[in-house]
Amino acid sequence: MTPEEFKRAAERLRNPAPGSRMEAAKKYGIDLTLLISQLRLTPAERVARMLEAEQVAGRVRGAARRRRP
Amino acid sequence: MSLDTAVQALVDAGAEFVIIGGWSAILHGSRLMTDDLDICFSRSRENLRCLARALAPFHPRLRDVPEGLPFVWDDTTLRNGTIFTLDTDLGGIDLLAEVSGLGTFDDVKAASIAVEAFGRPVWTLDLRSLIKAKRAAGREKDLRALPELESLLEAEEP
Repeated sequence: MTPEEFKRAAERLRNPAPGSRMEAAKKYGIDLTLLISQLRLTPAERVARMLEAEQVAGRVRGAARRRRP
Repeated sequence: MSLDTAVQALVDAGAEFVIIGGWSAILHGSRLMTDDLDICFSRSRENLRCLARALAPFHPRLRDVPEGLPFVWDDTTLRNGTIFTLDTDLGGIDLLAEVSGLGTFDDVKAASIAVEAFGRPVWTLDLRSLIKAKRAAGREKDLRALPELESLLEAEEP
């Protein structure tokens, strides 16, 4: 994605056109601004972040239940 | 070790495969998490040998059968099926010879793009084809991914 393409995509995601699929997604509950952050990353960076998040999730999963007396 | 180790092993073994499903969505920018790796594989004799060799160190076993049932992980087993839902030491890995809405490996490969990720060059579905596959699969979890994926597609349209 070129800088110009990114700029255009980010603007569309920030201000979805009425009747667009992006507007429908926003109404559905998708935070489109988070997708802008994703578009800034390369595919390799997206994978790395997801793997990190999964590792953290794996470490803390069930922690609240384990804390119970 | 995690699923990126599996991808690296597959690439290094020379396996022909395309990343589909949740990890494909992530490669395109989705923020939905997934805990298994879905790949579409070529059923060529040589590729089945590559797949069997690459994943063997991670002890694949079938997820959808009772524990303790005998299961031999080799290219003969792979030749006898088109869908394998596996547990491995690295996590869940699903192998599919065909993808709903797209077709066989050759169709899937034709609908794919090359990206650099997992520390290797890999193939994954292009965004339009991923959406088509998710829509065709039609499960709740596939449909849930559509608003994000369609937004990404629309945002990137010329």
